[in-house]
Amino acid sequence: MAPPRTRGQKEVRRHLLIYAGLTPFIVIAVFPIYWMLVTAFKQEPDLYRMDLFPLWFHLPPTLKNFQILFYQTNYGAWIVNTMSISAWVAAITLLTAVPAGYALARTRLPGAENIGIGIFVTYLVPAIILFLPLSRVVADLGLQDTWWALVVVYPTFTIPFCTWLMMGFFKTVPMEIEEAARVDGCGQLAALLRVVLPISLPGILTSVIFAFTLSMQDFLYGLAFVAPGDQKPVPVGVPTELIRGDVYYWGSLMGAALLVGLPVAVLYNFFLDRFIQGITGGIGK
Amino acid sequence: MVRRRVPEDLRQAQARMTHVSLHGGPDPAARAAVVSVPGRLATRAWWRSHSAQRLAFGYTLLAPAALYVVLLVGGPFIFSLYLALTDASVADPVATFVGLENFRAAVEAEVFWIALQNSIVFLVVAAIFKGLLGTTLAFLLLQNFRGKKIVRGLVVIPFTLPIAISVLSWKWMYDSQFSVINWALSGVGLIGSYGSPDWPIWLGQPYLALAACIAVNVWRTFPFSAIVLLAGYTSVPPDVLDAARVDGCTFFQRFRHVVAPMIFPILMIGFLFDTVFTLSDLSVVYLLTQGGPGNATKILPVLAYQIGIQAGALGRGAAIALFLVPLLLPAIFLVLRNLKRRE
Repeated sequence: MAPPRTRGQKEVRRHLLIYAGLTPFIVIAVFPIYWMLVTAFKQEPDLYRMDLFPLWFHLPPTLKNFQILFYQTNYGAWIVNTMSISAWVAAITLLTAVPAGYALARTRLPGAENIGIGIFVTYLVPAIILFLPLSRVVADLGLQDTWWALVVVYPTFTIPFCTWLMMGFFKTVPMEIEEAARVDGCGQLAALLRVVLPISLPGILTSVIFAFTLSMQDFLYGLAFVAPGDQKPVPVGVPTELIRGDVYYWGSLMGAALLVGLPVAVLYNFFLDRFIQGITGGIGK
Repeated sequence: MVRRRVPEDLRQAQARMTHVSLHGGPDPAARAAVVSVPGRLATRAWWRSHSAQRLAFGYTLLAPAALYVVLLVGGPFIFSLYLALTDASVADPVATFVGLENFRAAVEAEVFWIALQNSIVFLVVAAIFKGLLGTTLAFLLLQNFRGKKIVRGLVVIPFTLPIAISVLSWKWMYDSQFSVINWALSGVGLIGSYGSPDWPIWLGQPYLALAACIAVNVWRTFPFSAIVLLAGYTSVPPDVLDAARVDGCTFFQRFRHVVAPMIFPILMIGFLFDTVFTLSDLSVVYLLTQGGPGNATKILPVLAYQIGIQAGALGRGAAIALFLVPLLLPAIFLVLRNLKRRE
């Protein structure tokens, strides 16, 4: 190839090189999702034709797999369960993590920094160590085999993460705003409720999103604590209830997985940088 | 706005500020300096006088979160130590103390050592691959090019998709007969057609099954490695790099002496997080193989689940899960130290 002469040509060549390097990554990352998508809309016989090009349709696409999901399985109930669990977890997380984050960032408690790190480190205690003792706690509360068990358990990881997140967030709110409110005669609580919280809405919204997406990432607690078929959340119900022995309804399975997985993935995508900042301690720096 | 109950010293501070700013010098910067000193001092004095009230307020706000964490993370952790020392089971709620019997039984079973070995192989091999892929991807994403946001959004999907859901796609791709991977390999002539001896049954052959599980973990977390690296790199201020360039540092020197020391702590934290999550994750292996064929993919979390919940032996399950602690503790300790240093 002749050496590129103009700047334009050089730019084009550079872009081509970068795209060529990125293509394998994009294919690896996206292919499993594409494969789910195609499978979800394929007719049953179309799935098992290895002699035909499998990445496209050879029989007309169908919605039958989704009909099966909603009419013959508990899928609808799982979606409702997931939404209810997430709403409760988000509420519990907000009511605890927002005040705690504020207290650690702003009220100059002795040792606030260490308490903050202490709470955050509990985020690193994995479910696999806690699930057996928690199964006893859940049983003692009489919550075994209902989705309420998960409402109690999921805050064990959303509270540490969101407290840490809010602590970093409140540190970025200028102290002067709050002091001005105090000078105007606001009490501590009034200054928090009327001045600090309204300007912290973006941080609070981020906490809600994480309470939701982190709950969706759980599998173990749901698997261990909730046995009845109509009480499970989606990520647990789909792999445990839609596979019966050796019979796999791949079309419905993939449809069920995608319908909930994709929106969560997209939502999480927008907040991924916040997540990374959160765990590397870089918030508000 | 409420006007009552304003402390006297605060009123004075406010009056002083107004006074000074009205009669301050012509230079705004000098004026600001004059204002800030008495203002600050007065505020600090006021904080001190109200410190008891402030502390009570702070602890009240902190209490719900702290209690939740202490009761439902700290408590259960201690309880799991207790469980591990008893013969507690799902069937029999009355537990008797058995000392270290559960740990002894675990260590004497061959399957425990297989699980431990698989866990470590899983962790190390996966870390190598996601390190390589993540570094390459991060390097590419550092360049300026059109459509970067879209590309980034696409490549992080594996990490943002709930794991239990994406594993299902892999299970279908690893199907013994209709595997799309085998279709592709067969298409380019690397393997024969279905039924031929070199047709891989991904989840049915011991070494392949472990490799297949590791591949899913790598697929899920290489975007995470890349994004953490990127976050580290973008935290290096460009003027520091420019300064190094002006001083005549080569690319390698800049990397070695400027970039590396600055991004190392962030990388370290990302790596440690990943270690904790990879070691303790059960969903990939549980959903793909349940630890089989034989014990080829049995890792410690799967073993703990099978013994603790499926066989109902809470005490023995807790003991096996606790064997993860010595593996996790160094990682957790290092995260702690790193975070403290960054504060």
